[in-house]
Amino acid sequence: MEMLKMTDISKSFFGVPVLQHVDFSVEQGEVHALLGENGAGKSTLMNILAGVYTRDSGTVLFDGEKLEHTTVKSSEAVGIAFVHQELNLFNDLRAFENIFLCKEITKKSGMLDKKAMIKKTEELFESLGVEIEPTVMVSELETGKKQLLEIAKALYANAKLFILDEPTTALNNEEIGHLFAIIRRLKDQGKSFVFISHKMTEIFTIADRYTVLRNGEFINTGKIADTNPQEVTRMMVGSKYCEQAAYETRECGEPVLELNHFSGHGFSDVSLTVNKGEVVGFTGLVGSGVSEMFQTIFGVLPMTGGTLKIGDATISMHSIHKAMTKKVSMIPSNRKENSVIQDFTLLENCYVSEHTLSGRIQHIFRRKENKRYCKLEKALNIKSNSPGDMITSLSGGNQQKVILARWLNTKADVLLMDNPTQGIDVGAKAEIYKLINQLAKEGKTILVNTLEIPELQQVADRCVVFYHGHLQTELSRDDMSEETVMLWATNAINSLEVAK
Amino acid sequence: MNETETKPKTGNSITKTLGNYSFILIFLVILIAFLLINGGATTWSGVMNILRHSAVVGVLAFGMGLVIITGGIDLSVGSMLSLIGGLSVVVFNATNSPIITLIFALGAGIFCGLINGVFVGLAKMPAFIVTLSTMLIYRSIAQYYLRTLGQSIYNMDGTLSSYDAFYGFGQAKWLTVPVVGLVLIAITAIMVYVSTMTKFGKTVFAVGSNEKAAQLAGINVKRTRVLVFVITGLLCGLSSFLWLGMNGSVDPATIGKSYEMYAIAAVVIGGISMSGGKGRLLGVLFGAMSYTIIDKIIASLGFDALINDTIKGSILLIAVFVQIVVPAIREKIRKPKTI
Repeated sequence: MEMLKMTDISKSFFGVPVLQHVDFSVEQGEVHALLGENGAGKSTLMNILAGVYTRDSGTVLFDGEKLEHTTVKSSEAVGIAFVHQELNLFNDLRAFENIFLCKEITKKSGMLDKKAMIKKTEELFESLGVEIEPTVMVSELETGKKQLLEIAKALYANAKLFILDEPTTALNNEEIGHLFAIIRRLKDQGKSFVFISHKMTEIFTIADRYTVLRNGEFINTGKIADTNPQEVTRMMVGSKYCEQAAYETRECGEPVLELNHFSGHGFSDVSLTVNKGEVVGFTGLVGSGVSEMFQTIFGVLPMTGGTLKIGDATISMHSIHKAMTKKVSMIPSNRKENSVIQDFTLLENCYVSEHTLSGRIQHIFRRKENKRYCKLEKALNIKSNSPGDMITSLSGGNQQKVILARWLNTKADVLLMDNPTQGIDVGAKAEIYKLINQLAKEGKTILVNTLEIPELQQVADRCVVFYHGHLQTELSRDDMSEETVMLWATNAINSLEVAK
Repeated sequence: MNETETKPKTGNSITKTLGNYSFILIFLVILIAFLLINGGATTWSGVMNILRHSAVVGVLAFGMGLVIITGGIDLSVGSMLSLIGGLSVVVFNATNSPIITLIFALGAGIFCGLINGVFVGLAKMPAFIVTLSTMLIYRSIAQYYLRTLGQSIYNMDGTLSSYDAFYGFGQAKWLTVPVVGLVLIAITAIMVYVSTMTKFGKTVFAVGSNEKAAQLAGINVKRTRVLVFVITGLLCGLSSFLWLGMNGSVDPATIGKSYEMYAIAAVVIGGISMSGGKGRLLGVLFGAMSYTIIDKIIASLGFDALINDTIKGSILLIAVFVQIVVPAIREKIRKPKTI
């Protein structure tokens, strides 16, 4: 029997279609994997089902009933439970209080019946095999336990269909095993699941059927038993046209960055050598540890093991300032939070880093600074009226160029770029790629971390794939196809080997 | 800043400039009110006295301005005045040297500021709590130490040979302008220069605007935070010295009472945002003088001095209203919200 049938669903945001005529159905008592790359439309589809967004067209049948004008409340009422990717827990409340939030048990007098709630929570946790003290403060739980609590909270709702949006990102293998046991037990009771995950191993362990979306369109659906990780990955990625015009082969010089069993928070045992004038692409799923590694090289996070050699110097006590004196720079991810100083002009945003290196002369020579900025503005093609404009008046792409100018102004030789094209439109992205190639030609060494593989194909000489904080593999430019990279990034390569 | 000159595109640059320099407008309104109320009784030295009486609070308010630009606050400035002022009297009486007294006052100021700075900047404790604590501690030490001396106020020894020179400095005029007022002007010039034209000044704004980004741009955020408190302490030391020259004695229980509030008010009237990152230190001078004039208006109208804070509080409310609510309304009228 079909538990859920969504037909011909379309949705646009501000005129941009994100879902086009998508069909999706879930049988009763099955685990259905919803697959697709970032931005494929999986979350949007599920948010429509859960009443977070309203659909533009299409019909939704749930348990034989037509759902119209769905709200979050009404979708919960009919039996849809949504476990969101980001945790929706209240850190300053206890575990049981989170579970009973807005549906508290009260005594006749109107007082909260804590005893009853704690007891019910205990029963719930026990039935699920979750080891959490009901009265513990959520802030004291580690992320994996929080994720379990979030799932338990949804299960308490006694729904018919559970949507699990990347439920295992923070769980260790044992906890994942536990979660899967719970899912199987509930499945036998006739509950249905939509399981969203990037990890092929998990999908091939737990799911019965799958549906693939790509760029907001329905691609395929079928039984997991009839397919393999490679085929699924190919469906997710498609045969995207890949423009290679920007890239030119280049000569690389002597090593400038040497990592030897390099370890830190979120990654470990990375050994790698990067040469002068080289562009190395790094990729991996969210939480792969590349971002943390960049931050450790730049001295933001402490290093916990191994050695780091920049140029001829082996670094032991590290700091941002030290990295900068060694001509290393970092363009962090999340530009708005981590790079842009909102109350500063373009000029000020540009010179701020150089000034920390030339603090001996405290006076700012405005004319000299202006001249230097204008030179960089021209080289990077920053579009603005004057250096005195506020940085917030620029588009995302131009803001990022100003940040790039900030580091070129310090005469940095090694540029660590963490997701440099985040939130930038297509045209500006192409310009950033062009700049990266141009800078490499001028002898800068560039490390790019990105989730978008076509981006790597535009700039990178080779590609390093991370999974769970470990260096999975190094791929040469010829092997950098999206399929191969995804196989390594999702660790599907291992499940392939297991299958063999 | 040439920001306002280089931005003619927006079309409303005049209103924007007025918005940025609204503190001058507020100052002028209050000054004109003062002149009208005084009428024929207005004298040049009366006007110059505004500068003189703004000196103590004005000088330390510049430190407060820097601290607030980093997103912090320093509630201990009034108590620092009490402690440093009291101990400076003791030092002067022991050494008979205004120079040594000055050096001591500045050194003690740096020390007191450093304590605040270390707790806020290095230990990352909330500035409000740290300086609330030192506010209690500093004044209490000043009062306790006085008790152990067996006196009721810290009194400079008038029989000392350099007493007249020291006290004379506090009353002196140079071309009819009070010397302590000139000190205030000089500090204004230095602080405006430091905040707008030096690399350190820019880091202060950067830390207040986006601490994370400032750190990732290479700025030593901890050092900046410590330094702004040290500078505030230093300026409190200078303020104490000016106070001694002007008054010759320190009552640790009353000196600098509510000065932290007046300094904050001067900073806010001067257009510096309490959330940090925005504003101009020049405004602090006008903010401080505005409050001094209000004192004088109340005195010349013969009102009860107790009504003083009602008027000061109201002026602060109006000033902040003009700075925050008016631009918000203008913004709303200009572009209706889309979706």
